Amino acid sequence: MKVLLVCSAGMSSAIAAKALHDAAAKQGIEMEVNECSTQAFANEIKDGYAIGLVAPQIRHRFDTLKEQAQAAGVPCILIQPQGYTPLGAPKLLAQVKKELGELK
Amino acid sequence: MFDKFATILDEKLSTPMAKLAEQRHLRAIRDGIIATLPLIIVSSMFMVIAFLPNSMPKEWAITQFISANATKILLPYRVSMYIMTLYAVFGIGYSLAKSYELDGLSGGILAELGFLLTIIPSNIAAPNEAVLALAETSTELADYLATVPSGFVLPMGNLGSAGMFIGILVSFFAVEVYRFTQKSGFKISMPPQVPASVARSFESLTPTAIVLIVVATICMFLQIDVHGMISKLIVPLVSATDTLPSVLILVFLVTFFWSFGIHGVSIVGSIARPLWLILIEENTTAWAAGQVIPNIGAEPFFQWFIWIGGSGATLALALLFAFRSKSAYGKALGKTSLVPSIFNINEPMIFGAPIVLNPMLIIPFIIAPMVNAIIAWLLTSAGMVGHVVATAPWTLPGPIGAFLACGNDWRAAVLSIGLIVLDLIIYYPFFKMYDKNLVEEEQNQEAEVL
Repeated sequence: MKVLLVCSAGMSSAIAAKALHDAAAKQGIEMEVNECSTQAFANEIKDGYAIGLVAPQIRHRFDTLKEQAQAAGVPCILIQPQGYTPLGAPKLLAQVKKELGELK
Repeated sequence: MFDKFATILDEKLSTPMAKLAEQRHLRAIRDGIIATLPLIIVSSMFMVIAFLPNSMPKEWAITQFISANATKILLPYRVSMYIMTLYAVFGIGYSLAKSYELDGLSGGILAELGFLLTIIPSNIAAPNEAVLALAETSTELADYLATVPSGFVLPMGNLGSAGMFIGILVSFFAVEVYRFTQKSGFKISMPPQVPASVARSFESLTPTAIVLIVVATICMFLQIDVHGMISKLIVPLVSATDTLPSVLILVFLVTFFWSFGIHGVSIVGSIARPLWLILIEENTTAWAAGQVIPNIGAEPFFQWFIWIGGSGATLALALLFAFRSKSAYGKALGKTSLVPSIFNINEPMIFGAPIVLNPMLIIPFIIAPMVNAIIAWLLTSAGMVGHVVATAPWTLPGPIGAFLACGNDWRAAVLSIGLIVLDLIIYYPFFKMYDKNLVEEEQNQEAEVL
């Protein structure tokens, strides 16, 4: 499955993306996690993603980004602050699971 | 008590303010200008190269080579950063049109058309026979004539940051006209027998005609100097931005937003970035011309002297967690956030520590960058450190970025390191207090498990 993280410039989300990928791999879940900037999100999310994850520091843009994801038929959630750190990756993974159901 | 206060502040103040920055026109400015940043950063580096001779021994061959070819080395800068509004206008028109779910490309082209119509080309006639005859007697005149092009030329001055506000306004106008004609049905309609593709090509003529006629009438036929008028309005705003109180207000706002976990720079930058761009471009232009550099508070000043390691000058905090933490969590946090912090990415620190809604760490998080700002401002205005003249990539480590941004000034790198040490001192007592809490929590948890 493919997951897309979005933050302001696509820099910090790259860190969270790697952490999420590793956390998923530990549970035996094959997850491709990509990151992008808010400007690139509307186009990128159309590219076969299972879910869009919005970084907590741009939550004021969440409504706009969610609309863009919905236009592509992809669910989109706001990452909890505690999940947006390398150490908090398991929390983020739990959040994704809660939204999508059990993952393979 | 603090939680309640913070919740109220977040719900009533920071979130509504942040949402305001999401207004579509502000968003278009932000996205349009951000799209030009790679251009500004790369062409800035051409400036840095052209001015390397200032900080290299004169007798080196490379120094002499660069000095001799400085004008040529700067040519890419002349067609990129020097005329950045030309690029930003396309981005603003594109983003605004997209936000209305209109064709972005048409929006960008209409905005560009409107903007260029405010720049009046002039026709320089080729020298006539009388002038040529004179030139034969005067080598000075002949040399001058050799540098003057003939034919239509476009003055470049207002294509740069000086034309930024006109560019923004014209982009809005052009895209609003586009939207009006598309949504209201105010366009050339063809009978149903006409093929759809042909009909569409006529439909797109209406907004173009309106933009062209209106802007050309104002700027070219009535000869109203819109750039002159706007610059009279903007100059006080720009110089007000370049004061220590303004810098401190902006710094405070950025950390204030981050204290609630909202990306402060992206909010404050929506409003401040056009002004910051004017400040840095004036500096770069003055530097290229070898003149006195006028401004202090451009964006690189914030980037390299205030936000060292990210908003809140958190490189210091990352160092403390990495090397001085006694708690297991603090050590792990320091280890994972130190490297990103060196490259000015501090979300792992802000959300990991966390600093967000954490009264113990919010205090130094707000104070440290303000202290940095005051010290760097005073040293810059006293001439102890160079003014920022170039935009270096924001993911460079602090001292290197400062060195490049100030035009190869080693004193800037020293200042950056000095400020990091100062930030360590500011953060230390608060870090100690918080780390002690973490240790106690960890011990309590262990006790519970046992």
